[in-house]
Amino acid sequence: MKLRIDLRWIAAVVLVGLLVAAPLYLKDSPYQMAVVTGAFFYAILASSWTLLAGIAGQFSFAHMAFAGIGAYTTGLLARDLGATPLQGIIAGTLLAGVVGLIIGFLCLRLRAAYLALFTIAFSELLRIVLLTEFQFTEGSNGLQLSKLWAEITGTQEYYVMLVLLVGGMAFMYWLAGSRIGLFLRSMREDQEAASAMGVNVVLYKVLIFVITSLIAGLAGAVFYHQVGIVTPNTIEILQMSLVIAMAVIGGIESLLGAAIGAFLTRIGLELLREVTIFGVQIEFGAWRYAAFGLLLMFTLRFAQNGLIYPIIDRLFMKRAREETVAKRAQTTEGES
Amino acid sequence: MIELEVRDVFKSFGGIQALNGVRFKIEGNELIGLIGPNGAGKTTLTNVLDGVYKPTGGQVWLNGERVDGLPPHEIARRGLGRTFQVTRAFRRMTVLENMYVPAMALHPAKRKRDFYDKAMEVLEFLTIEHLASDYARSLSGGQQKLLELGRLLMLDPDIIILDEPFAGVHPKLMETIYEYIEVVHGQSKAFIIISHDMESIFALSKRLLVLNFGELIADGNPEVVRQDPNVIEAYLGEEEEEEGTEIIAPPGVAGSEGNDA
Repeated sequence: MKLRIDLRWIAAVVLVGLLVAAPLYLKDSPYQMAVVTGAFFYAILASSWTLLAGIAGQFSFAHMAFAGIGAYTTGLLARDLGATPLQGIIAGTLLAGVVGLIIGFLCLRLRAAYLALFTIAFSELLRIVLLTEFQFTEGSNGLQLSKLWAEITGTQEYYVMLVLLVGGMAFMYWLAGSRIGLFLRSMREDQEAASAMGVNVVLYKVLIFVITSLIAGLAGAVFYHQVGIVTPNTIEILQMSLVIAMAVIGGIESLLGAAIGAFLTRIGLELLREVTIFGVQIEFGAWRYAAFGLLLMFTLRFAQNGLIYPIIDRLFMKRAREETVAKRAQTTEGES
Repeated sequence: MIELEVRDVFKSFGGIQALNGVRFKIEGNELIGLIGPNGAGKTTLTNVLDGVYKPTGGQVWLNGERVDGLPPHEIARRGLGRTFQVTRAFRRMTVLENMYVPAMALHPAKRKRDFYDKAMEVLEFLTIEHLASDYARSLSGGQQKLLELGRLLMLDPDIIILDEPFAGVHPKLMETIYEYIEVVHGQSKAFIIISHDMESIFALSKRLLVLNFGELIADGNPEVVRQDPNVIEAYLGEEEEEEGTEIIAPPGVAGSEGNDA
């Protein structure tokens, strides 16, 4: 019997293997290690936003707000009630989920631009509350968060974030490939038609808001413990736009495309801080965001499926789709 | 036995009365044509039947259960399926995935692969099995229409409402849709076909419902309905009525030729 292993699994194992081994190379540079850890955080956010917007069609601008809810909850519980980071992270994740549930219900009748505007309004409202209630939240000074545990190393922080990323991606892939994923995509395509085909769109719309809010809340709570401080700027519209842009560059319909897009973009933005060309050192400063903007414009104009997703689709998905049909057609012929 | 009962259904949008006391009953696998001028309330009635709109008055009963006010997915699961006036395939999903959606929604305990054979069989019947792994958006308009019909069979409803199935379709495709209706009707399914294509409606339906300004102005044998003065007036206006014409169907349709001269 010929053993056939799906190419996608091999690619996934190689990719995870590389990420697990990367600290061997990065361990001498805490800065590089921190940049890559931060890139993991953005990869989680971009891929979970893709699940919400690209797969389920709910174009929300509140995703960073849920990460902020996770971070502020754990920070405030630690400061005022002496909660441990683990307790705080659990509480922050759950609170993000509960707020996601409420937002999901409130958004049931909203679609496209109206949903986007609603979530922008929610996000800004939260930011302004965090900013103005400074006696409680420390306002623009930011809320201090302790490290996850005393004497945690950069490498340990790297692995914590990597576990979150790989675990989150595995869960989201399972979800997207399940019946729920099928229903979410039908809902994205046409809510009314999906409903007429027996899909409970109310249930799945609320469910996907809750799930992605939980993921963003968890990622935010853990990551800002590593950063050590969270400020209202975390949830400003620019930050949210950055996550969306990363997902668009990677491929808005692909969890992996969005994650890789976010990861590479985040690393790219750091690399562009200082570039040495023919011995001349150039500091791009804020101009690197201009390069990022150009890349986004290029993607939207010439590659609407993103820059990473078409590669993944060509290498793995297309063939898998065709093979499945061909294989089954053969089986049917054989049976008849 | 299949039973759909519409009891004095009213539906208004602001000051506009879109449905005004519509009442009829379907028993068994009837093949019904639903016609009416533009704005008569045909699509509104469909939307009330499938749960998109809640009626402002009256009741809808499906197979012995009151269903008005239930959400569309609940009504779909109870045996009423529909297509839309403008084709609504799930464009960024493959043809097979389109087929799986209703099947999976209806059978939570089963897996996609359990429905593969049935899906391919239906696609084959509709002559689009070779497109199974393609995205629906890459299909032609007519093929998307067939896909929508195929998707309905995966839902396996008792009553199928087709909203303008013949609009803008090629004659060859028309034949496939005719065959679809005949075969599926033969499997004890009831049909309500909404169409402006009188030739097809008269050729297919055994009973005709006529809506005008939200009111059911005729219900019965197509040949009898064709000569109903109210129907003639609704379609052609008073002037033609005075001339005594009875042409609802366009020239060339059985029963209408005699009046053309």
